[in-house]
Amino acid sequence: MSTMESPVIPARPTTKETAPLSRNRRRRGVNREGLEAGKRSTRTILWILLAASLVLYGFPFLYLLFTSFKTPIDTIAVPPTILPKEWTLANYVNALGRSGVPASFINSIQTAVISTGLSLVLAVPAAYGITRYKTRSGRIFIMAALVTRMVPPVAIGIPLASMMASVGLADTPIALSIAHTTISLPLSIWLMSSFFEAVPQDLEEAATVDGCSRLGALWRVVIPVVSGGIAVTAIFAFLASWNEFLFALLMTAVRSQTTPVVIANFQTQFGLDWGSMTALAAVYSIPVILLTLLLQRKIVAGMTLGAVKG
Amino acid sequence: MRIPDRRFALYLMTPAALFLAVFVAYPLFRLVTDSFFKISPIVGGPRDFVGLDNYVRAFTSPDFIGAGWRTLGYTLMVVTLEFALGLGMALLFTTLGKKSQVWRTMFLYPLMIAPIVAGLLWKFLMIDNFGLLGSLLSQAGILQSPNQIGWLSNPDIVLFSVAIPDIWLTTSFMCLVLFAGLQNIPGDLIEAARLDGARAPALLFRIILPLLRPVIAVALVVRGIDAARAFDTILIQTNGGPQSASETMSLLIYRTMIRFGDPGLASAMGTIYLLAMLAIAFVAVTTIWRPGKDT
Repeated sequence: MSTMESPVIPARPTTKETAPLSRNRRRRGVNREGLEAGKRSTRTILWILLAASLVLYGFPFLYLLFTSFKTPIDTIAVPPTILPKEWTLANYVNALGRSGVPASFINSIQTAVISTGLSLVLAVPAAYGITRYKTRSGRIFIMAALVTRMVPPVAIGIPLASMMASVGLADTPIALSIAHTTISLPLSIWLMSSFFEAVPQDLEEAATVDGCSRLGALWRVVIPVVSGGIAVTAIFAFLASWNEFLFALLMTAVRSQTTPVVIANFQTQFGLDWGSMTALAAVYSIPVILLTLLLQRKIVAGMTLGAVKG
Repeated sequence: MRIPDRRFALYLMTPAALFLAVFVAYPLFRLVTDSFFKISPIVGGPRDFVGLDNYVRAFTSPDFIGAGWRTLGYTLMVVTLEFALGLGMALLFTTLGKKSQVWRTMFLYPLMIAPIVAGLLWKFLMIDNFGLLGSLLSQAGILQSPNQIGWLSNPDIVLFSVAIPDIWLTTSFMCLVLFAGLQNIPGDLIEAARLDGARAPALLFRIILPLLRPVIAVALVVRGIDAARAFDTILIQTNGGPQSASETMSLLIYRTMIRFGDPGLASAMGTIYLLAMLAIAFVAVTTIWRPGKDT
């Protein structure tokens, strides 16, 4: 479909749209595409419905953005206005200039990058071992990884924090990124397994016949083929860490605090400074929203792959 | 010498398995052990074995029972509403076909927003006095005064209000997964049913939903687990209040551990909570998912 599409995602279900059936779609009143609506009047109503729900869906974040440009008086005006009466950047200057805020961004980035790397290094070989060799231990392992997903962070946060403290890692990005990896690793194994499943086995067989070791075949033949899948997995692991709050709250003090904790702390520490809070929230969210819009095809593929294949 | 495939596979899995053993299984073991002790919150403080005392305290505590019901109610509410809205959107996108693709992307963005930000944003929309939601509804004539509802201050409805950001954040996920599932339903099948005179409700309940069953099961289980663990959005909106009316299990355990400094009791609660989740997920998976049977 486009260059961004990696060739390893044949399971991407939306390709149905390009099926030859669509040629007949023009026929009036008769539905040639299964569920696609035929009548023009129905379609118009559906489009209006879609537009309305998108406005409802998009508006809350727009309101956050507008609020971040308001003056303090505007922010808590009764009744509230949607647009700022007077546009100002004061909230941004305020929020970003506050002590601890720039450092928290660096902590967030560090934590997310370390956690993403760790997840990939562990998940890629594990998923390969599970899907390629289909051993009993592999099946048990993937079930165990799924069960891990159910563990509530609040239950293991405190024991984890004291473990980290006992090895001198208390309040460091490394400790937090390890905690975040407990969330992203099962997800990464699950996703990577789906991607490896789609690689034809002949590929490594050919490589091993040519004298490549199994590890060599994985590294030189299979990994390049699933690089698109690895990218998807990396995005998810990164997002899981970037947006995580509870572990960050339990495991960090001042030194390694990430931005979500700082945002939450605005509530108590500085009274209710809505303006600065919304500005910081906007700055923290916009990079990942842009990332999503840029990489949306990959993200959609990753999100639906595991579930749809069941 | 070439090691057997079976062992090679095991080697590949070992690092990840070790990681999960050390950083998930061991803390869980610690959690379960702690649940049998009375622990002083002070580091290095006394630690006395009390047997099942913490469990008895948990089950006899109205806070714990209340939080359990609230967590269940919250989870059912979030998952049901998300499923209904997500299915509606997915059907909408499917009936509109390819031209709606761009809009599907727009629909994605809340998935990338941190729950803490979403909670903050909705708190700002629903807060008394200067919240936009009440103000808009009263300007539209639906409410008599902007504060009539008291989204986050009325204990009777607060559990619903704190669920809104969660629903807002992840309806997109439901929509995406269901949309993908819908694309896999053969068009011929729908057509055949139409030719046989099936109307929209029959199409939906007799053909679409049964065919989507495995996808629906995965989506519901995944989202159910997440919703049952909800913490960020509730903490920032109400911190469990007013009068604990929005205190779900994660919040109660957090409060017992940190504020009340009773790690033993909190561990017992955490253990019960985890076992309950495992049991419910197991039942859900075996009854509705039935892997390998439908697909």
